[in-house]
Amino acid sequence: MNPFTVHRGKVAVLDWTDVNTDLIIPARYLKRIERVGYGKLLFADKRYAAGGAPPIDEPDKHGPLDPSFPLNRPENQGASVLVVGRNFGCGSSREHAVWAVAQAGYAVVIAPGKDEGFADIFEGNALNNGLLAVEVPQADWDRIVELAGPGGAEAVVDLRSLTITVTAGAATVEVPFFIPETRRERLLQGLDSISETLLLETDIARYEQSSPAWIRPTTA
Amino acid sequence: MPATLFQKVWDRHVLSNTNEATLLYIDRHLVHEVTSPQAFDGLRLAGRKVRRPDLTFATIDHNVPTEDQLNIGDPLSRRQIETLRSNARESGVNFYDIQSGRQGIVHVIGPELGITLPGTTIVCGDSHTSTHGAFGALAFGIGTSEVEHVLATQTLWQGKRPAALGVEVTGVLPPGLEPKDIILAVIRAIGTAGGTGTVIEYYGPAIRALSMEGRMTVCNMSIEGGARAGLIAPDDVTFEYFTKTERPFAPKGAALDAAIADWKTLATDPDAQFDSHVTIDASKLVPQITWGTNPAMTVDADGRIPTLEELPASVREEAGRAYQYMGLTPGTPVSEIPIDVVFIGSCTNGRIEDLRAAAQVMKGRKVAPGVRTLVVPGSEQVRSQAHAEGLDRVFEEAGAEWRQAGCSMCLAMNPDRLQPGQRAASTSNRNFEGRQGPGGRTHLVSPSMAAAAAVTGRFTDVRRLLDR
Ligand code: SF4
Repeated sequence: MNPFTVHRGKVAVLDWTDVNTDLIIPARYLKRIERVGYGKLLFADKRYAAGGAPPIDEPDKHGPLDPSFPLNRPENQGASVLVVGRNFGCGSSREHAVWAVAQAGYAVVIAPGKDEGFADIFEGNALNNGLLAVEVPQADWDRIVELAGPGGAEAVVDLRSLTITVTAGAATVEVPFFIPETRRERLLQGLDSISETLLLETDIARYEQSSPAWIRPTTA
Repeated sequence: MPATLFQKVWDRHVLSNTNEATLLYIDRHLVHEVTSPQAFDGLRLAGRKVRRPDLTFATIDHNVPTEDQLNIGDPLSRRQIETLRSNARESGVNFYDIQSGRQGIVHVIGPELGITLPGTTIVCGDSHTSTHGAFGALAFGIGTSEVEHVLATQTLWQGKRPAALGVEVTGVLPPGLEPKDIILAVIRAIGTAGGTGTVIEYYGPAIRALSMEGRMTVCNMSIEGGARAGLIAPDDVTFEYFTKTERPFAPKGAALDAAIADWKTLATDPDAQFDSHVTIDASKLVPQITWGTNPAMTVDADGRIPTLEELPASVREEAGRAYQYMGLTPGTPVSEIPIDVVFIGSCTNGRIEDLRAAAQVMKGRKVAPGVRTLVVPGSEQVRSQAHAEGLDRVFEEAGAEWRQAGCSMCLAMNPDRLQPGQRAASTSNRNFEGRQGPGGRTHLVSPSMAAAAAVTGRFTDVRRLLDR
C-alpha cells in the first residue's frame, strides 16, 4: 500500500444519509472474482440512466449517465475528495464498496459526526485499502458542504496535521478531522498488516497452546 | 473489575494491545464464495498458506440456485463457486459443497454443526456473522482484506475495544409475535446508526425466554442497528443446544462438561456497567413491518405509513426518497398495501422454527391468487428436518414453492429475485433499494406475518388469523 501524507483534489458532495453498500455497489457485481475493475460500477443503479448499468463482467459497457445523480454533475467530474452524509457504508460488509469508491478515483471520503459518519466495517475496509475515511464535527461538515456543494471547490487533506482546507474562489474553510492514531500511522507508513502480524508468530503460537482443550473443533 | 459478557470474551482473545490497536485471536473463520476469492488470491500472490485450515469452514450459499442447486445457469456464479471449490481443495479448509448434506447459509450451518461455541471469536466476510452472538460468542463481519489476514494469521487487528450497549427486553412476548418483531422494534428504537462503534448485549426476561433460534434472529440483525456484533449470555437453553443434540464439531462428554463449566462464567457481572443502555417492553409490541428503505423505517402492523410531519427532521430527506422508491402514499393504512411476492427464508428466518411458524399460518389455507410465495430452508439439514415434519407438504398444498437451501431472494445474486416494481413481504434483513432485485420493494416482517401476507395477498396482522 502506498503511504498517505497529503492529498489535494477537487471536491464532490453526495449528502444523502444512510448510504448502504448495496447502493454503493449492487450485489450482482459481487460475482466478480477480481480485485480491480470496480470504478465504473460505483453507484451503478443510480449513476446510469434506466437500463444503463454495465454488465457484470464488462464494466466499460455502460449506458448514458443519469444527469440527476449528484456525482454526475459536470462540475463534479474528476473529483477525488468525496463528501458524504451520515452513516455512509452501512449494511453489507462487502469490501467491493471500498474498491468501487477508490477505483472511481476518490482518495478521501469525509462524513459528519465522530463515530457516526461511517459504518464500522466500511471504515475498517477503507483503511485496509489506503482510502482515507475521516469524520468531522457536524458543524464543520455543514461549512464544507456549503462551500463545496455548488461544485468546483478544492480540498487539501493533510494527514500529518489532521486538517482539511477547502477552497472555493476566494473563500476558504479549514477544519480539523479525527482519526485514531494507529490508523493514522498505518496510513502514513503504508504498512502491510499481514507481514507485520506474522512477526508476532511466537505470541500467536503461545496463545494457541494455552487455549482450553474444548475450543478445538472435534473432527467429524 | 466487574465486566460485561462482551468484555470477557474480548479480553480472553487479546494477543497484543498497543496504543489503540488490539490483535485478537480468531477461533473460527467462516468462509463463503462471494467475499473470499480475492483473499485466497492475495495469499497465493504472497506465497502464503492458510494457517489453520482446521479452524476454517467454507460453504456455498449466495449464488446457489434454490430451484435446482446443481443447475447453475449463470456462468459467473458458476465461476465463483468453482473458485471456492478449488481454493478449498488447495488449502485444505473444511468445505461443505452443494448436496453434501451440510451445505447451507453460512450462519445457519455454523451453529447446527457445532462450529459456533460460546466464548469464542468468530469472523466471516459477511456482516450477519453477528448471528452467532446468540451463543455468547463474539462474532462479527469483516472485509476481504481482513479475510486474507485471518487466513494467513488466524488473528485480526481491531481498534480499541468497542463500547458495550445494553439492550434490555422486558415482559413477555404476546402470542402471534416473534423474535423478528423484537429486533425490528429495537432497530426502530435505536436507529440504523444507533449501535455504531458498539457491541450490543441483549438481556432481560423476554430474551431469556427465547429459544436458541429466536436468539439467533435477534443477534442476526444487530448490524442493521449499526452494531459490530450482538451477544446473549449463555444459559441452560444454550447448553441444551449441545447436550440434547449432538453437534459434529462441538465438544462431547467430559470436554463438553468442562466447556459448560467455563461458559457459565461468561455472564455479565451484576455490578458491571454498560456504556449505554435502552429498554424495550416486549409485552407492548405488535407485529412490525418495515415501510421504507432502511430497517429502522418501521410501523406497527395495525398502523399507517407515517407522514413526513410525523417523522423527525433528521430522517425526512431520506423518507422522501423512500416514499418514492417504495411507491407509497404517506398516511396509507398498512393493511391496504397489496403484495406480489412472499419470501420466507434467509439467515434471519430460515431455520426450522421459522418454517414451523409460517406453516402454522399457511396450514389449510391457500396462497392468494397472483402472489408468488417462496419458502427456502436455510440449510440442507433444515430442509430434511422440515421434510421429516411434513412442513414441505403444508407449503406445497397451500400453493407455495418449496425450495432448496441457500440465500435465495435475500439478495439478488442468484435467480431468485424481484422484478422492478414488485412488492415483497420478506423475512430477510435488508429492505435497501434493489436488495432483492433492481427496482424491487421490500418490507421486512416475521415468518408468520409473511405467511399471513401470502394467504391474504396484503399485509395482515397475523394475530387475526391465529385464533381460529
Ligand atoms: S441470507 Fe442474506 S443476509 Fe444472510 S448471508 Fe445470505 S445474503 Fe447475507
